[in-house]
Amino acid sequence: MKRRDLLKALVGVFGTVSFASFAYPLVRFLAPSGSASDEKKIVLSKLEIPVGGSKVVLFNDKPAIVINRPGKGFIAMSKVCTHLGCLVEYVKDRNMLICPCHAGTFDLEGNVLSGPPPKPLLKLPLRVEGEQIIVG
Amino acid sequence: MMNKMKNWLEVRIGLDELVTTFVTEQRVSKNINIFNTLGTVAFVGYMIQVISGIALVMYYIPHADHAFRSVQDIMTKVPYGWLFRQMHVVGSNLLIAAVLLHLATIFLMGNYKRPRELTWVGGVLMLIITLAFGLSGYLLPWTQLSYWATTVVTSVPTAFPVIGDFLTRLLRGGDYVSGITLSRFFALHVSILPPLFLILMVIHIALIRRIGLSGTPFGRSDDEKRPLTTYKKKTHPDGYPYYPYLFQKQALMVVGYFIVMFAIITFAPSFYFPEEATVPADPLKTPESIRPEWYLLAPYQMLKLIPNKFLGISLLIILMGVFIFWPFLDKQKEKNIFQRPVLRSVFIVIIITLLILTWWGKR
Repeated sequence: MKRRDLLKALVGVFGTVSFASFAYPLVRFLAPSGSASDEKKIVLSKLEIPVGGSKVVLFNDKPAIVINRPGKGFIAMSKVCTHLGCLVEYVKDRNMLICPCHAGTFDLEGNVLSGPPPKPLLKLPLRVEGEQIIVG
Repeated sequence: MMNKMKNWLEVRIGLDELVTTFVTEQRVSKNINIFNTLGTVAFVGYMIQVISGIALVMYYIPHADHAFRSVQDIMTKVPYGWLFRQMHVVGSNLLIAAVLLHLATIFLMGNYKRPRELTWVGGVLMLIITLAFGLSGYLLPWTQLSYWATTVVTSVPTAFPVIGDFLTRLLRGGDYVSGITLSRFFALHVSILPPLFLILMVIHIALIRRIGLSGTPFGRSDDEKRPLTTYKKKTHPDGYPYYPYLFQKQALMVVGYFIVMFAIITFAPSFYFPEEATVPADPLKTPESIRPEWYLLAPYQMLKLIPNKFLGISLLIILMGVFIFWPFLDKQKEKNIFQRPVLRSVFIVIIITLLILTWWGKR
């Protein structure tokens, strides 16, 4: 191998390594991986949510809603619309959740009824123990 | 005194030759019209944004706890702070209108055609950076409108499989729009986009100078009715002198730009400030009426109408790609749109569709 070719190869190799060793930290710096916070349970009293009523809570720092559905009991869902991230609002009179941004609607199971949301609202684990509702 | 200064500059930089080359001996086509001034109007619009932006940054605090308050203080306590903020906000909207009009007239006059394809591509990239300026600046006042509009925009990449979530986290600096998003949008607005824009602007102007000012394909004889096949700088030896012929047109349009800006600031000061733009950001409550600025209403309404998010956003990207690379897709040699009924019809349909979508999105 000629010295000039060797020099070119070395510049290529070390240049690539230098670039990669700068680029990887930069990408990690700019786009930290998703938060891996420990799930914290939320405990509510059943009395806080009458039939047909709802309560907005923060579940792992993310807005969620607990609804007491007539005849079907409690359900907990993320409030974050699966379309473009706006927060859905519970409309009691129409028995549905509506996103104010692009008019996506969801039933009280979180399923998409109409509009552009591509998938149902994220359901959160919920159980009822005595007079308490435990989310998470 | 003036003569002394002129002599001083003449000795050092050859002032006379500069003036002769760029002003008095510079010739422009005889059929040049008022629409050929829109690039200059846009340039002045950018300068207004730079100057008012530098003024605002002296008082603005890019922190989630202080941003809203600092903007309110600029509007109410800082002497003439309201004026610079209004100039910046109204100016950004007028600037986008001027750039869109500039591109539309270039399109109509066929001046994107060979040899000016790169000038067009650079111009569209500058439009995209201008929109990025608008989007990044939108979050900075940290209002309900800015917070939720940014939430929507930064959610757009999630439509893409595999890299979508990564891109959204890259934009937000986390899972949600937060103080970190505010910091990086501020960085984008004042330190990343400006140099990018400056580079594109220098290239754009250098290309215009290198290729020469185009004429229009209408009216009097114009050798550019058919595109060139070899490099030749476009000159107009029998044209009118740049000064005062085109210069005065440009000055008139720039003055018109200022008149419109100050008319809006004076007679409709809340025109660009809906109610949600006066309420501090609340990450737990999406306002009922959340709409983007007028220039994004058409794509916003399109996203609303197309049921599949991936499809909707892919379609937007494809349309943007067609827009950027249009000079390479349009193989017809004819520049005059009046001789091209199909293109003329498509253009009219696109404009009407955009207007309907904008009106619909506003409702």
